[in-house]
Amino acid sequence: MTPTRTTRTARKARTTAPRRALRRLPLRAAATLTVVICLFPVYWMLATAFRPSRDIQSYDPRLIPQEWTLDHFRTAVQADGFALFWRNSVLVTLGAVLLALIVALGAAYAVARLRWRGRRQFMLAVFIAQMAPWESLIIPVYIISRDTNMLDRLPTLTLVYFMITLPFTVVVLRGFIAGIPPELEEAAQVDGCTRVGAFRRIAFPLLAPGLMATSLFGFITAWNEFTYANFLIIKQQDSRTLPVWLSSFQTTFGTDWGATMAASTLFALPALVVFLALQRHVTSGLTAGGVKG
Amino acid sequence: MPARPSRRPLRGRRPTLGPYLLIAPAVLGMLYLLLYPFGRALLISLQDFRLRELIRGDAEFVGLRNYQTLLSDPRFWDVVRRTFLFMAVNVAAIMILATLVALMIERLGRAGRAVVLSSLVLVWAVPVVAATTVFQWLFHSEFGIVNETLTDLGLDSFEGYTWLADGRAAFAILVALIVWQSVPFAAITLYSALTTVPEELYESARLDGAGAWTLFRSVTFPLVRPLFMLVLSLEVIWTFKAFVQIWVMTRGGPGDATTILPVYAVQTALANQRYDLGSAASMVTVLLMSGVLVLYFRQLFRQEGDQL
Amino acid sequence: MKHRPLVLLGAMLLSTGLVSCSSSDGGSDAGGPTVLDVWLMRDSVSEAFQKEFEAGFEKAHPEIDVKIQIQEWEGIGEKVTAALASNDAPDVIEVGNTQVAQYAQSGGLTDFTDRVDELDGDFWLDGLAEPGAWEGKQYGIPYYAANRVVIYRTDLFRQAGIDAATIKTRDQWLAATERLNKDGVQGIYLPGQNWFALAGFVWDEGGDLALQEGGRWKGGLDSPEAMRAMDFYKRLQALGKGPKDSDESRPLQADVVAKGQIAQVIATPGGAGVIAQKNPALKGKLGFFPIPGKTADTPGAVFTGGSDLIVPAVARHQDEAYTFIKELTGETWQTKLALAMSYVPNKTNLATAVASDPGAATMAVGAANGHATPNTPQWAAVEAKNPIKDYMTAVLTGRDPAAEAAKAAASITTTLNSGS
Repeated sequence: MTPTRTTRTARKARTTAPRRALRRLPLRAAATLTVVICLFPVYWMLATAFRPSRDIQSYDPRLIPQEWTLDHFRTAVQADGFALFWRNSVLVTLGAVLLALIVALGAAYAVARLRWRGRRQFMLAVFIAQMAPWESLIIPVYIISRDTNMLDRLPTLTLVYFMITLPFTVVVLRGFIAGIPPELEEAAQVDGCTRVGAFRRIAFPLLAPGLMATSLFGFITAWNEFTYANFLIIKQQDSRTLPVWLSSFQTTFGTDWGATMAASTLFALPALVVFLALQRHVTSGLTAGGVKG
Repeated sequence: MPARPSRRPLRGRRPTLGPYLLIAPAVLGMLYLLLYPFGRALLISLQDFRLRELIRGDAEFVGLRNYQTLLSDPRFWDVVRRTFLFMAVNVAAIMILATLVALMIERLGRAGRAVVLSSLVLVWAVPVVAATTVFQWLFHSEFGIVNETLTDLGLDSFEGYTWLADGRAAFAILVALIVWQSVPFAAITLYSALTTVPEELYESARLDGAGAWTLFRSVTFPLVRPLFMLVLSLEVIWTFKAFVQIWVMTRGGPGDATTILPVYAVQTALANQRYDLGSAASMVTVLLMSGVLVLYFRQLFRQEGDQL
Repeated sequence: MKHRPLVLLGAMLLSTGLVSCSSSDGGSDAGGPTVLDVWLMRDSVSEAFQKEFEAGFEKAHPEIDVKIQIQEWEGIGEKVTAALASNDAPDVIEVGNTQVAQYAQSGGLTDFTDRVDELDGDFWLDGLAEPGAWEGKQYGIPYYAANRVVIYRTDLFRQAGIDAATIKTRDQWLAATERLNKDGVQGIYLPGQNWFALAGFVWDEGGDLALQEGGRWKGGLDSPEAMRAMDFYKRLQALGKGPKDSDESRPLQADVVAKGQIAQVIATPGGAGVIAQKNPALKGKLGFFPIPGKTADTPGAVFTGGSDLIVPAVARHQDEAYTFIKELTGETWQTKLALAMSYVPNKTNLATAVASDPGAATMAVGAANGHATPNTPQWAAVEAKNPIKDYMTAVLTGRDPAAEAAKAAASITTTLNSGS
């Protein structure tokens, strides 16, 4: 367990500046190791996407592809309805995440900052909602959608994904809000801010990492979901989402793995973009909060 | 934006009504989108409900028969035991690694932090199916780079070694996959929590001559503890409910070696079309999971109690 | 404040998304020809055939506008289930012949018993017609069949001095494969989990995957016949570098064969086209022979794969759906389909139609000894978990065949009996 030692050494390194550079070496090594472990499978996915089909699985697997090709990306992008399914996924996912974020922020604030009867019960309910066995709820959800004529419609998926991500969003946001000392806001209120103004100016910037983490989680969960998308969108082929579309590279003769990996790469991009878009807010939030030098 | 929903109810500082308005959308959503379907699932678990009933909608009520069938199946109890083992191993590994990674990120410079955070997010962003397939390939008997590497290192017994045909090896690979996929969320969340710890606290503790471990135990951990417990309990839930990875990689095999409760429920419900038995299995799963988390709830409430 | 643009953007997306999506339904039946929704499986028809058929069909029946949607294999079971239970199902659905039994007994399909004669039902292939029937009523209409043959490299056979036409028994096959398996050439590429191939050997030996005894099913992999079949599979599998722990799709069999020096592979004849497409140098170098039997007088037993067509009871255009089925399963289009896709036509009296295609002709030889998986709705559940694959890998990696066979048979017994 090298990381243990590393963190301890690093801790000392901060206190004893002269030996700093040397002391930081194990920390860097640990960071590098983390990055390598994280990235290797991702690299393998990318390398597969760029490899000619016949090299994808060979008796002599190579770390670096001998030949590079864009064929798989071409196959993926030119497949029927690529843009359409992309749009569907973006709409459904963003819709669900934003809805969950808005609804959850209100609830999380009420739980973390206000006093009211039934608060415990509410929190318990939210927590239990986390445990919902969604694999088994698919049949009831299907029956309900059928009976209310909501089958084959994207908003149904949006609502399901909203519900899948909501409890988590409430719980985590509550944790983040509770982690910010209320004294900070109270001080601001003393300085003449309204309660809401105090929350917005003081707590909200500190909350940015939390918002980032939760919205990313929601985004990725909804973005990846296959079972409901497959079961609830039946006849309207045009309403399919990306994960369902991804499965279209599987043929009777097996799966076109190169195209699958190319499609997966294109599919992972939005999550990364969302993160990069939010990262600026995280950094600004951190500096504004003056928490970290 | 997030402040908007709270603006109106709180303007007059009437906390009596405000909180209820704030939670109303969440409560309504949970009632209709979660509790109602859950109730129907509970009903299904008490009926004779298969494909025929799904199509025709005239299911017969059979009381607790499905639960009897389920609980008297020795295979089911094997699956329960395996689920707990799977959960414990995964959660322990995830929490330890995530804490270490979070502490590491905090100590990194700006550039290093960005690189590590980005690679963590990248892991998280990879579609589950793609990640699972990649892991499957890495450990493939004839074409996998793991066997290739081990053989090159002189371990000839790994030539053509069939990892996924061996129950314990398959289990271990799935644990590795799930830990790999889960650590980013846990680490990023814990790191976010660490950033909310005021620097002054560390400084004063250091002035008191606290060492690294003491500092972590007496300053850092107590402050991030609520979030740590939260992440812990979420990981308990998620690993208890892990499904896609197992389904894609092994379908619960070889034999039953990687069949945990959700896999069992889906095998019965969707593949076997015994929606009634599948629902019953899920109800039992929820019950068992609550059992594990009851300790967390109690602690959560004690804290809440302090604040109230 | 600086968060506002992001929020606005999100809100806009959200609202436009909800509005544009919820308004995208309906509008298909307004006057003009009736739109008939048909689901066919990925790769069950080629694009060219689909176009030709649609044009021909709509010319003959101008009142019907056929809309064929290609479905993916992944998750298809759930999808068909969802369609059958919905209020607005597609009108015709293609279903694999090992899957159709569960739907036939579900009560959600249109009963075609009265029309069997009109559709020439006497000549239907048993492997397709039987699973489509339930309690004396016919729900699934046979669509096409295909079975496995041996695809071989003519150049590698010539090099080794072997004439494929002389391979008539499994012993001869084993001997020939052994001679091929040297100097960097794999005698045969046989993945460890090709359970369709194993099933063929089991039937050939006189065993079965499962048998019904007094209303109860019993797994049959532990019978002496089935054990002999597994032993043969093991000896054959060893004459090449097929992975012991995976099936034909992981990795793609065609990719491996296209790339490597591999003398033989077991696949449906359509597989040869895929191989040649991936490696054009192999065009014209691929031949076919039926999987050899135990003795020279009968070809090896094979699994008859294929599809049935079904009509959901809730489908809105029942008459048009029947017209569609009658055309597609009739002589004209069956002949064209079999030639275009290297299939076995759905009726025995059409078999001569494919004599000109070497792949299809070879397949027809094997089809004479075609078998189906146990005819019970529960079989789909066995395939979903597939203990047969685990069993094969276990034996191939050196575990005790008797113990593993008993385990697999017991697992199949449990699954098959858990439905009723």
